[in-house]
Amino acid sequence: MLRLMDRLNPQVLRILALLAVLVAVILFFAAVVPNYLNGRLFNRVSSSVAIMALIATAQTLVIITRNIDLSIGSTVGFVAFATGSLITNNPDLGPVVLVLYAMALGAVFGAINGLLVAFARVPSIIVTLGTMALFRSALVEYSDSKSISTANLPEWLVSFPNTVLWQWGQMQFRAAFVAAVVVVLIVHVALSRLRAARRLYAIGSNPEAAEMAGIDTRKTVFVAFVLAGALAGLGGFMFLARFGTITVVAGLGFELKSVAAAVVGGVNIFGGSGTVIGALIGAILVDLIDTSLVRWQMVSEFWREAVLGILILLSVAADALLMRRLVAARAAREHRKAEERIARELAAQAQGPAP
Amino acid sequence: MAQPIVQLEAVSKSFGMTHALSDMSLDLFPGEVHALVGENGAGKSTLIKTLTGLYQPGSGRIRVDGQPRVISGPQAARALGIAAIYQEPMVFPDLDVAENIFISAADEGLILRPAHQRRRARDLIARIGMAFDVDQVASGLTLAEQQAVEIARALSQDVRVLIMDEPTASLSAHEAAQLRRIARTLAESGVAVVYISHRLEEIFEIADRVTVIRDGSHISTRPVAEVTSEGMIAEMVGRAVGNYLDKAASTATADIALQAERLTRDGVFEDISFTLHRGEVLCMAGLVGARRTDVALALFGVSPATGGTIRVAGRPMRIPDPAAAMAAGIAYVSEDRRKLGLAMPMPIRANISVATLGKFLGRWGLLNRDRERATAEAFRKRLNIRTPDVEVPVGTLSGGNQQKVMLAKWLNMEPAILIFDEPTRGIDVGAKAEVHDLIRAFAAAGGAALVISSDLPEVLALGDRILVMREGQQMGVLDAAGASQERVMQLATGQATLQEAS
Repeated sequence: MLRLMDRLNPQVLRILALLAVLVAVILFFAAVVPNYLNGRLFNRVSSSVAIMALIATAQTLVIITRNIDLSIGSTVGFVAFATGSLITNNPDLGPVVLVLYAMALGAVFGAINGLLVAFARVPSIIVTLGTMALFRSALVEYSDSKSISTANLPEWLVSFPNTVLWQWGQMQFRAAFVAAVVVVLIVHVALSRLRAARRLYAIGSNPEAAEMAGIDTRKTVFVAFVLAGALAGLGGFMFLARFGTITVVAGLGFELKSVAAAVVGGVNIFGGSGTVIGALIGAILVDLIDTSLVRWQMVSEFWREAVLGILILLSVAADALLMRRLVAARAAREHRKAEERIARELAAQAQGPAP
Repeated sequence: MAQPIVQLEAVSKSFGMTHALSDMSLDLFPGEVHALVGENGAGKSTLIKTLTGLYQPGSGRIRVDGQPRVISGPQAARALGIAAIYQEPMVFPDLDVAENIFISAADEGLILRPAHQRRRARDLIARIGMAFDVDQVASGLTLAEQQAVEIARALSQDVRVLIMDEPTASLSAHEAAQLRRIARTLAESGVAVVYISHRLEEIFEIADRVTVIRDGSHISTRPVAEVTSEGMIAEMVGRAVGNYLDKAASTATADIALQAERLTRDGVFEDISFTLHRGEVLCMAGLVGARRTDVALALFGVSPATGGTIRVAGRPMRIPDPAAAMAAGIAYVSEDRRKLGLAMPMPIRANISVATLGKFLGRWGLLNRDRERATAEAFRKRLNIRTPDVEVPVGTLSGGNQQKVMLAKWLNMEPAILIFDEPTRGIDVGAKAEVHDLIRAFAAAGGAALVISSDLPEVLALGDRILVMREGQQMGVLDAAGASQERVMQLATGQATLQEAS
């Protein structure tokens, strides 16, 4: 068993393990909640995952470089509001302009974080803790405590998230969910196949060696924050489309949910490893449990957070233990092989004539 | 011979008052293994950092192919074909071998081609005569394999000068032989290999030419055939000795304060046996990688010994952690002031009291600041710590004064045994003399001092006896009166054993 696990790439292994957990969770709830497994569950989870997948992906980009972005929730909220007010005042704007506006706005917020982290060398947890409050206050100021309401939004925008692209039984594949998954896949391919993306992993894995290998660490970290901001901006757009009504508390708490999704999805909080596919599955898992616990009578409202917390602790601990054991097992085997090789060489030397 | 690839012309580099390199000139030719030898702190690292663009020369010039060049950073150095590998391999533990090798490759285009990359990685690994799986992540590799990955990374781009900085220091004998073979193969293919090692026998095995540097200056460059180990050692140590190194009279008594018998830590050091008397200063000499600090850390319980016995004042002791060591009257003054020694932003007063807070408790178990301050003031006068006030942050003091604060911290514990790890590294000559006097005074008052030092004149002047280590082995204990720098160096480099010594 260990041998087979050893053959597989650790990242692939992580994803398989996550899928197994996902299936286990579904089976568990199917057993305890009557009439659990149906299309409505899929539709409910997929609608909210559409937003969470994007911000978990954004968070993953930053975490891979050994940083963190706590301002993501505020960025989502601000962008949702600003985009909403843009379209309210200019109802004729098309979807492309609106999406670009949302992403550009998010990228500006990301750039502020990136400048402070990469060039001013302030730890990201401090920078984004500050900008989290700043961006949120900017939203309060900008919105003048008014709300965006669905009534003022164009029809195409409000109906977009619920447009059913295709249906399989009761399961509806809605536009927002499909779009989010497509974005995640694009980011995944970029992360695994682009040369520049490999540098993100290198920096998170060993910043000193990255510097020595001639990688421009400042620029790379800056770009990671800008991209994360742009993805959060896209998340803000989705948020606007889904809820229509945007108040100053929009996106509150998303920063921690995004970190939770990424970490549950196997992204190493110390940087250097993790995939956005993992983060996507992490987002699905977190959301699924959140949604399902509502329907499970045993667990009160009060305990839902606790169960979620336990899930995060368990997944991270299990991941750390599993990976450590795998690495240790592999190292031990390599060591044995090396010793055998040395023994063979020595034996050969002893038998053969002196060169 | 062909034209040199790289020429250093009278390169100098200073850090504040310290001249790390002065008027260093060096030519590196294609196809040669050029060994660079010198004591710790002779300027080898500065030289490498200058060649790889991490430091800019203060004066002088670097020519590549005869053209004067400014090497602005590691990337610029790579572009000129200059690469370096270090004792501690710089790999990315989360990336696989192939990814590690091609992380900085610029010629591979925008999109990664994993299959192509893996094939090239396998070729490179094979080219340097190693065989291992290029799909595994680097954290699972042995040290030698990680070194190979670094060499392969250097070879992935056109490399013309490969600097190997003590690549074998942490390797086993077999792995080291493998690495030397790689270095030789590279030189034969036309690369200029700069090889830095403390293992002199390695140098005779693979080097074509040998350059000795000392105190940042070029001493000699000769073909290896004209070099003897005695000559090399004499050149490495033969510096003008300042008058701060007057030999002090011994105050050693017959009482044994500390005795180590066959002290061993698996895989790190083994069979270290010595006695340390009250009033005595015992110096531990050796080169980088001799594992002297590890012995000290074992005595202080940071990384406890796995075998052998420690006796304190005749009683066998188990020392599983620093608290136990301190309870037994052992204190350790670390070589790394910044990391293990002082809390830089905190005031002198708080740094001095931190290891002995129990002595400063007042009513209600609260810290008594007045008493702290009084103690700090007393040490300020006694150790001549130059500061207007004991409330200034330690980080603002000079290296020598920081060292004194650290000393005060441990003296306040009134230890019976005090271990000093490189007590005078990075401090100026005047402060050195003061630190020596303080160590001597500690011994004269009946304390037992164990001093780890890489500074040979210091070892000879300060020590009553000298324990020489090499790669985790005890090479011998010399009486300082009859010892010479050459003798210590021969033991430290493994060119002699102690059979004939007293």
